[in-house]
Amino acid sequence: MKIEQYRDMIYACGRCEFCRGTEFSDRCPQIFTQRWESSTARGRMAIARAILEGKLDYSKDLRERVFGCFLCGRCREECKKAAKIDIVAITKAMRADFVDRGVGAPEEGGKMTSTMAQKGNIFADSTSEHTKWAQGIKFQKGSGTLFFPGCLASHRFKEKTRILVQVLQAAGYKLDFLGDDQRCCGTPMWVTGDVRAAKQWAQDYVKKLKARGVKEIITPCPSCFRAFDEEYPQLLGLKEPPFKVRHSSQVLEEIVAQKRLPLKTSVPKVVTYHDPCEIGRYRGMYDQGRKVLTAIPGVQLKEMSRIREQAFCCGGGGGLKIMYPDYSQQVSEERLRDALQTTASVLATMCPACELNLTHAAYKTDAPLKVADVAEIVAVSAGLADKAILEPDYISDD
Amino acid sequence: MVDVPKVTQLLKQAVDPKRVTDRDFDIVAYSRDLSPARQKMATHIVMPESREEVRGILRVASDNNVPVYIRGGGTSHWDAYLPQEPGILLDMSLMNQILEINDRDLTATIQPNCTWAKLDQELRKKGLTYLCSEAGGPAMTIGGSVMKAGGGPHSTAKFGFHGNQDIITLEMVLPNGDIVETGSAAWPSAGKFKRQCVGPDLAGLFIGAEGILGICTEITLRIRPATDVKERMVAVMKTLDDVIELGHFVNRCVGDEYLQGFYLWVDPNSPETFLVMMDVFGYEREIVDYRKTRILEKIKELGGTLGDRAPADDYYGRILTGLTDIFTAGVWHFFGSGSLRIDDIKFLYRVWREELIEKRGYKKAGFGGQVLPRDWLAFMVTNYREPAEWEEIIRISDEINEIVLNGPVAPYGIGGRDGLRPFLEKRDTGYYRLLKTIKKAVDPKDILQRGIFVRKEDLI
Repeated sequence: MKIEQYRDMIYACGRCEFCRGTEFSDRCPQIFTQRWESSTARGRMAIARAILEGKLDYSKDLRERVFGCFLCGRCREECKKAAKIDIVAITKAMRADFVDRGVGAPEEGGKMTSTMAQKGNIFADSTSEHTKWAQGIKFQKGSGTLFFPGCLASHRFKEKTRILVQVLQAAGYKLDFLGDDQRCCGTPMWVTGDVRAAKQWAQDYVKKLKARGVKEIITPCPSCFRAFDEEYPQLLGLKEPPFKVRHSSQVLEEIVAQKRLPLKTSVPKVVTYHDPCEIGRYRGMYDQGRKVLTAIPGVQLKEMSRIREQAFCCGGGGGLKIMYPDYSQQVSEERLRDALQTTASVLATMCPACELNLTHAAYKTDAPLKVADVAEIVAVSAGLADKAILEPDYISDD
Repeated sequence: MVDVPKVTQLLKQAVDPKRVTDRDFDIVAYSRDLSPARQKMATHIVMPESREEVRGILRVASDNNVPVYIRGGGTSHWDAYLPQEPGILLDMSLMNQILEINDRDLTATIQPNCTWAKLDQELRKKGLTYLCSEAGGPAMTIGGSVMKAGGGPHSTAKFGFHGNQDIITLEMVLPNGDIVETGSAAWPSAGKFKRQCVGPDLAGLFIGAEGILGICTEITLRIRPATDVKERMVAVMKTLDDVIELGHFVNRCVGDEYLQGFYLWVDPNSPETFLVMMDVFGYEREIVDYRKTRILEKIKELGGTLGDRAPADDYYGRILTGLTDIFTAGVWHFFGSGSLRIDDIKFLYRVWREELIEKRGYKKAGFGGQVLPRDWLAFMVTNYREPAEWEEIIRISDEINEIVLNGPVAPYGIGGRDGLRPFLEKRDTGYYRLLKTIKKAVDPKDILQRGIFVRKEDLI
């Protein structure tokens, strides 16, 4: 069993419940939605321990407690103070065990992975649909810097993705794009525990990108960013990532720091910033988005009560949007409440999954607030996009 | 034997079926506490939302002779909620609301699973606070504290422990389903403002009873205006006698309501270094400065050395948010602990040093305690590795507990068979006899917390 390698950590749980916090809605989105102790990190360590001791086995009923984790890392952050247990790694290992032992992921998770493997993206888009956002944009094949939008940005956020590329190109970045050859980064595979398939996928992808002369990857998707930068090296046993990988937040920060774009148009908006888990808690990238926002004239950054390490998940993590959409929606609405308390009219973030989930929450609750990518605000200030895109009632053609 | 499917069905009629589980993976998550107590599995976990639901669950339990165990935040140190035999475990998490903050009467009414941290956050928004606290971190619930008469590093000579003296009224569901109130709340046309009235202090009957006499469903407690001025001090005293003198001094001169914390810590690697952390608070700078000056003068007179206040800031500052690195060296276990006179701390220190460190060669447990209110709540605490060091720690702590409890130390919390119950039951005290009489009268079928505090066989 894959959890065997984490035996010491599993036994190190002191049952303090720092991971849960003071209230269902305090820290962990899973206990917020599922309520049982078995849906906390503390509970999961008890389950893992019982499995190691042969008192419990992986079962279909148990899947909800393990695949129902948002992998947001809030508990791991808290446990840094207590027992330093890598709960995310253990949860991923448990998911892999489900697959290895033939129980499998929840049906929708399995479907997501097989769709992705067959069609190259999780939405089963045709190639032409998946690259539609790039129509009319000129890329430089062989530039060595690959723009990798990922499934969500390609499928759901065509306009946002186009705007981001316009910003990057206006700032002088010479971008390559895979076009019809673009495939998902493979994240759904390890999220649903299919590690064997993930390894093959990573191997093939690295080969393909190397053949194309890719030296650097820029992506707006934190999952894709971590896929190339963390998961691939881990899966393939590499000490270093095969390419330099940057998230768009890092590039936008560079653009601002090096003044590569004139940000002249004032954007008189109260903006709040949501920290995506996979660049925030996973990688400590809390300042990039904020530095960019505060460099934009007119923007007033107003923080939510829970930010940075303590930020509440958007509900989009861990494959929950596909596997347990109701839980995902509940969490997004809770996070939206944090944003609304700031009175901001723009909820900015830098992750397509967060943007999708928070947008759904805003639509469902008819919230007077626009969910935007930080790049969109940059584009408005740089005169590359119309300010209307930041209005709560604006709906793109996507 | 519990007829699990039958009881599941009945429980699902008493509460929303979604809040009943008999699945092994759900139950296993509730099968341990913070102590090294052996794993104990319930047959069902139920999450009630109201006193009426609690009553309905008790009815099912009573009709089917199934014991009911009550769990708050799940951080008991002495096997105080783990099912001693197969039975229903109540996860009280959903009963966690703050019902009222009355800033005129200075009272707060809450449901039992409201955490201290949650109440503190809300009180501070109104410029209020409660005074004392355990170091139980964010999961520590008020109901859990009250049911064990909770005390900890924040307490005062005047107001005592927050889990006891600060309690005004309780609402309890008795094993027969009767819902009763204590103090002024017992008088239907009065309200929740006074503990000692009408007659005997029945709140005191339930406080510290670890849930064996009733299930708490509502608590009203004292609150206070938040304090603006706080001073923290750290001193190293040359001898334990000096610590004792300082302890007496603060209890007489500054400890009434101004000294909130007085915490002694002795590291096993440096058993002659007596570190004392102190937390003084007040409403006016002049008063706090005066109290601080008095303490500093006394420390100087006793030959103590003042140190950097950072450790005190870290410790007291994290009481509600969680202490740092508490489990990096392994899982926690408190043992050799209890309440004792200020002068008697030397006894416990000697046991720690001679019996534990020198005779048994166990050098991983520290020694510490709080001297407020007017006595020590002292303990030995260690981190150990599960499962490798489990047997050793159980053996050693049993031996030390035996020595300690034969001395001038009253146990603080009893719990089940892996707690201190075996030490209580073999002492034929009037207290234990009275408790058994009350338990038999209130809970003739021994439904609540069966095997906890009182051995089942002792009730027959």
